[in-house]
Amino acid sequence: MNPQLEGIEQIEGTYAFDIRTSNKALNLNRFFWNMIRAEWRDRYKADPEGVMEEAGLNETERELVRNEDWLGLVQYGACFFVIEKFARVVRKTNLEVYALMRGETFEEFMATRRVPESR
Amino acid sequence: MAKIIGAIGTSHVPTIGVAYDKGRQTDPAWAPLFDGYKPVAQWLAEKQPDALVFFYNDHATTFFFDMYPTFALGVGERFPVADEGAGLRPLPAIKGNVDLQCHIAESLVNDEFDLTIFQEKPLDHGCASPLPLLWPHDPDWPGALVPIAINVLQYPLPTGKRCYKLGQAVRRAIESYPEDLKVVIVGTGGLSHQIHGERTGFNNEEWDHEFLRLLQFEPEKLLELRHADYVRLGGAESVEQIMWLAMRGAMPEKIRRLHLNYYLATTTAMTLALYEEGEEPAQNAAVATENIPAQV
Repeated sequence: MNPQLEGIEQIEGTYAFDIRTSNKALNLNRFFWNMIRAEWRDRYKADPEGVMEEAGLNETERELVRNEDWLGLVQYGACFFVIEKFARVVRKTNLEVYALMRGETFEEFMATRRVPESR
Repeated sequence: MAKIIGAIGTSHVPTIGVAYDKGRQTDPAWAPLFDGYKPVAQWLAEKQPDALVFFYNDHATTFFFDMYPTFALGVGERFPVADEGAGLRPLPAIKGNVDLQCHIAESLVNDEFDLTIFQEKPLDHGCASPLPLLWPHDPDWPGALVPIAINVLQYPLPTGKRCYKLGQAVRRAIESYPEDLKVVIVGTGGLSHQIHGERTGFNNEEWDHEFLRLLQFEPEKLLELRHADYVRLGGAESVEQIMWLAMRGAMPEKIRRLHLNYYLATTTAMTLALYEEGEEPAQNAAVATENIPAQV
């Protein structure tokens, strides 16, 4: 256990991304990371199943991607900072992804914010 | 000899870059953010620093988790601005200063900071989100960047204390550079926010202001905080505030704050602070000590 993270499991709704998680979900995170390349994005949009196959994703991972299950992806071990690259490709803003991770509609989420018109 | 003339703490929220590129500077929802940068941009225009040392983090853009450096220093005359999934931004490639960057690298490694060196690689929103608000860039940037990336993504992260010591070593590096350059230190990230899991949207304004007070007057107290403490107090991604500790470590004991802008619009407490060496006027210091939580 990393002493810097002692007690973190008691913080609800939080998933520390460490090297154990990273190692387990390396293919999935690499698949998302590759979205920074236009060529990969275009190939994914043309043939999502083929690109997931090429990326070596297992069936659980493919289902999470197909469903755009943002919270499920985080719980599985995807890092938000590569998830957000994928979000750009499927035309979701970060604010929309935040709402979905909280199980809220976009308008419900924005109503909880200080400046709801900031979007 | 080169000299540190001041320090800046700034958020690096990617949405700032999006709003900037879409020309939302006067949009009522964004003006409080963009207007807040004007006094610091003005200060930079007056002081004309030759270089900014940027403590930032790469958001798994230039580095992927299969080889993710704890500390990495960028060397190059130019760094492209990264494509992070939405295409390229209309910004000139960021300028470097190879001789200064190499000197800092040599000094740090000889000072027992054995960091990774990267060359001419893209810089993502960790640098590119706040930079255009600080420096004019049409047709080109007025000075050089020394990018120093810190791992705040994949645990184990360097401790807050280690980041502070890195800042101290960077000060020694700059002050041993023979050319008379003016350098400003920039620490990026934060303040409170969480952007993953069901706890997404967490903020803690009281803690944010306490953090700013401690950073200025009692940074040694922040050095004892563990990463889990930052996660609990400010939200998971606020742990990146250890990069503000690196900035603080490069500054002398007494600093005064010339400017603060704090704007929490949606999920991140977007914060900008400007510091110079010197004593904070007693009156301001007293104001800053109000509303302190009983226990950090």
